[in-house]
Amino acid sequence: MVLDAGTTKAGRVGRGIVGSVLSGRFGWSLGSFLVLLAVWFVAAAFANSRVFPGPLDVAHTLVRELASGELAYHVGVTLARVAVSFVLAMFIGCSIGIALGRTKRADRFFDTWLIFFLNLPALVTIILCYVWFGLTEVAAILAVTINKIPNVAVTVREGARSLSRDLEEMAEIYRFGWWKTLRHVTLPQLAPFFAAAARGGLALVWKIVLVVELLGRPNGVGHQLNIAFQLFDVSMILAYAIAFIIVVQIIEIGVLQPIEARVNQWRR
Amino acid sequence: MAPVDRPLEVNIVEKDFPAVGQRARLPVLRNIKLSIARGSFVSITGPSGCGKSTLLNIIAGLDKDFTGSVNTQEGDLRLSYMFQTPRLLPWRTVEENIRLVLPDGESHDQRVTELIDRVGLSDAATAYPERLSVGMQRRAALARAFVLEPDLLLMDEPFVSLDDPTAEALRQLLIELWSRRPTTVLFVTHDRFEAVMLGTRLIRVDGRPATVVQDIPVNLTVSERRDRDSILAERVRVFQDA
Repeated sequence: MVLDAGTTKAGRVGRGIVGSVLSGRFGWSLGSFLVLLAVWFVAAAFANSRVFPGPLDVAHTLVRELASGELAYHVGVTLARVAVSFVLAMFIGCSIGIALGRTKRADRFFDTWLIFFLNLPALVTIILCYVWFGLTEVAAILAVTINKIPNVAVTVREGARSLSRDLEEMAEIYRFGWWKTLRHVTLPQLAPFFAAAARGGLALVWKIVLVVELLGRPNGVGHQLNIAFQLFDVSMILAYAIAFIIVVQIIEIGVLQPIEARVNQWRR
Repeated sequence: MAPVDRPLEVNIVEKDFPAVGQRARLPVLRNIKLSIARGSFVSITGPSGCGKSTLLNIIAGLDKDFTGSVNTQEGDLRLSYMFQTPRLLPWRTVEENIRLVLPDGESHDQRVTELIDRVGLSDAATAYPERLSVGMQRRAALARAFVLEPDLLLMDEPFVSLDDPTAEALRQLLIELWSRRPTTVLFVTHDRFEAVMLGTRLIRVDGRPATVVQDIPVNLTVSERRDRDSILAERVRVFQDA
């Protein structure tokens, strides 16, 4: 009887945990993911076509590419390009944004330039870079960076415009000097704008990198997609796409979110 | 020669706010000539909006657009300014906020700890300012103003919009800190009671543009400054009000 009671209790507790996990946010995500998978599976079975493979085919391709090391190599190359152009665009874009937000005259003058580059299609920048600088790594990185800079600059400019005059006076009174002011007064105020720029930036950069690779690089995910396109190998296209989505999510959850949480810990 | 041991000389001939759009040029201060001895506690009082804060900003060196001269920017005069709002950095803890105003290379661990203790923030030293009450934030700002051991301390209605007991406690704290380490203080307030209670000298500014209309010593001993009736009586003498 004692044993019985124990089992029941343990069973209830177990069900409680599983139940609360399944009804929580994670449960909803898992459920909707499984439904999506099921819809895909059924649709692919009905279509029964080489150009619309089901989840099992794609998983098979994914495992094959993983085992051969091809996937890791091309995803790695693409990530390196994303990282370099992302860092460059953030650094240059933030500098321009701060400068424009701080000096009215420069802002008025360069506003037109900014609007021009903001509306210049990514494809045009990429083609021009390849035409002018050849099909090189530098041209590829440059094209992605130029595409991203205006977005970062516009976001950070908003932040620089709204910097607190009160805190600036405080820093002046207590003779902080430029470095201390930048580190303790200016940059923390801009942090939310950096975060917004970084978040939007990463999503944009990795999409443009794929186009750059497709048009003029001998490796990377974009290049692999191009080959798959020529072979009409949809299974491979989906395998690479899914691999990339997973990598980007890992970066988002593993890198960006912890940094944001740390930066925001002082908020009420 | 550094003005650290000379009197503080303020000579503002003319201060206007420039015309903006439809609004004409606005005269703010005229012919304000003050000589303030080192170590005196000067209350500056006058109606709201008459230019008291502008006067402090000029003395602090924040506002350089005026005709005349002040000698606060010469030499290595150490200056602290307690503003109407605490102006703490919300992303730095209370202790970090206090430490940050010390020049690079000076840490004064003992002084920092002692001051935090004296203003009653020992338990909140590692807290972020926005998690504290307004009264506690002002105490942190007070500690920050004193940690520098300033030669000149400017205070612009630092206890405004606090409830009476909190403001009173902060005034007592200010008297205590000041008597431990006397320094030149310019204390702006529109509260006449506060002006008499704290100051050793009282300057009244009024008019448009504002000028000095009264400059008179306050005759209260340290113990009388804790006694409400003595302060009230002195206020009647100084302001000739009932």
